[in-house]
Amino acid sequence: MRLREYEAKELFREAGIATPKGIVIKYAEEIFGVENFPCTLKTQVLTGGRGKAGGIKFANNADDAYQKAQDIFKLPIKGDLPVAILVEPKVVIKKEIYTAILIDRAYRGPIIMASSEGGVEIESSENIQIVPIPGGNYNPYLGRKMATKLGLSGKDVIKYGNIVNRLWDVYTKYDCDLCEINPLIVDGDDNFVALDGKIVINEDALDRQPRFDGMLGEHLTDLGEREFRGKMCGLNIVELEGNIGILCNGAGLTMATMDLVFHHGGKPSNFLDVGGGASKSHVARALDLVSSDKNVKVLLVNILGGITDCVEVANALKYYKETRPEANLVVRLVGNNEEAAQQIMNQAGIPMTNVLDEAVKKAVAVAA
Amino acid sequence: MSVLINKNTKVIVQGITGGMGRTHTALMKKYGTNIVGGVTPGKGGTEQDGVPVFDSVSEAVAKTGANCSVIFVPPYLCLDAALEAIDAGLPLISVITEGLPPQDAVKLHAAAKLKGTLVNGPNCPGIITPGECLIGIHPGSIYMPGRVGLISRSGTLTYEIGLGLKQSGIGISTAVGIGGDPIIGIDQIVSLDLFEKDKDTDLIILVGEIGGTAEEDAADYIKANIKKPVIGYIAGRTAPAGKRMGHAGAIISGNKGTAESKTKAFTNAGVKVAMTPSEIVELVKAHVPATV
Repeated sequence: MRLREYEAKELFREAGIATPKGIVIKYAEEIFGVENFPCTLKTQVLTGGRGKAGGIKFANNADDAYQKAQDIFKLPIKGDLPVAILVEPKVVIKKEIYTAILIDRAYRGPIIMASSEGGVEIESSENIQIVPIPGGNYNPYLGRKMATKLGLSGKDVIKYGNIVNRLWDVYTKYDCDLCEINPLIVDGDDNFVALDGKIVINEDALDRQPRFDGMLGEHLTDLGEREFRGKMCGLNIVELEGNIGILCNGAGLTMATMDLVFHHGGKPSNFLDVGGGASKSHVARALDLVSSDKNVKVLLVNILGGITDCVEVANALKYYKETRPEANLVVRLVGNNEEAAQQIMNQAGIPMTNVLDEAVKKAVAVAA
Repeated sequence: MSVLINKNTKVIVQGITGGMGRTHTALMKKYGTNIVGGVTPGKGGTEQDGVPVFDSVSEAVAKTGANCSVIFVPPYLCLDAALEAIDAGLPLISVITEGLPPQDAVKLHAAAKLKGTLVNGPNCPGIITPGECLIGIHPGSIYMPGRVGLISRSGTLTYEIGLGLKQSGIGISTAVGIGGDPIIGIDQIVSLDLFEKDKDTDLIILVGEIGGTAEEDAADYIKANIKKPVIGYIAGRTAPAGKRMGHAGAIISGNKGTAESKTKAFTNAGVKVAMTPSEIVELVKAHVPATV
């Protein structure tokens, strides 16, 4: 779950990382409460690239700021309208640095990643420095080590090290996947200040992070209609552009089924992994979700029952067929309780195969 | 022979009295796994499915001589359970639990590394040596004993391949479900190495998926170290970038983790790459006569 800038900065400040003294406004009129000009107006959205898209503006006085705030509130960034604007006093920037703590697959643990070129997309920086945190066991020398790698010296090593120490506190306290300050600036008084912040909380850890209770729904972005609804009811769906609805169990098998549809000349409408041990009602919800897209011409159901009971799936399919007799179903059901499931399918008049390739070819033919 | 587990493996189940633990203890026992005990703190002295339950792993090990633990505890209790098993000196633990927060996974694997413990998973179906021992949630009847080693990041896709092989009369030595998380213990390379050394494995199937660079690393390793034939498969070649495809680890980030890059790495390492699950079986048949 990605936090918005102002939410990330709140966590930074609580941990002792300085940020500009800003205020968050939800209506343009609130700008008249701002006293320090010139100021920066920053749109609060969940997508990157907001500066280039016109979501960050400078204003010299209240009237100017009011006009610009009105514009920003109306401006969607990649389809995402701002929930607020963060208004901050303009600061003097002597130096810009990129600094983040994130989990890295290749290092099998957290790393400090930094660059002496802050303010830009880190991917485009050629000066990326990495300090791994061995075994996830952080000690302050690691922050100082990074300071040296960035060419800092003297008191700046201590100041920068303190920032990394505190960033580590945020990273561990809130189960973050990413804690990023970009840019971390050195201001006119030689203080290190977080000018922008990005925090991603690990979604598997959300249930033990009460601070973020109920926040997931309004922090989802870049999701299709079915993806959003799936997320709200624990179904793992990814939208694709074809017309063959897919319902499988297990991520690997679902991907393989999707690939197989392409392989045989069809186009999947989605990826949906119904998970292990799914009940009738869970499968029924999944069938509804997949078929809620108008483009879906056929539903391809591929279940290999290990912990999943094929009878639960068969009962869900039977119910689905009863309520929607016109629906096209291609079903492959094997494994746990297969024979009993076969009987239910026979009664319901739904043809069933136990060969995956056959099922996929049939679905492709129906959808063509 | 086989790798990691066999008929002499003595298994304890952590979380044996929970829903998953109860169900799968019964299934593992039915399959023939030597389940010698279970652990649920506070329920020591009771029995589950005829298996003695202990309050701690060290007690279970002392009383039963267990040398393997399979863990079915909920995600937020999982790190504690795994650390307890590592501390008790078990050489192999299998973590079936899905949804372990990554920061817990880092601590788990760091502790295992210090102690030299082999950790299977997390978020995996476990390991099966057909006819001898099953730890985890593989449907046992889907595999037959044989001489093909199977390594896979996925659960059900592993079953799909095991079933396809069985229908062609081909059995496996051991199937290692390494798990779908970004950070896992026993990985492709560890498994490849074990199968290379196993005199009862003739051929290795490596089932990968998009995300990360583990397959690329495995390909480098194969090129340098593995003499047995390896057949590869990558799931998710039609997955869109930037979307997590079910598994926490199955995501193409930027240009990293694509099926193209993995297929290329496999091909360069002399690994034959199947485009569909059924093609895996065809490629295996070309190597192994359909009698076991």
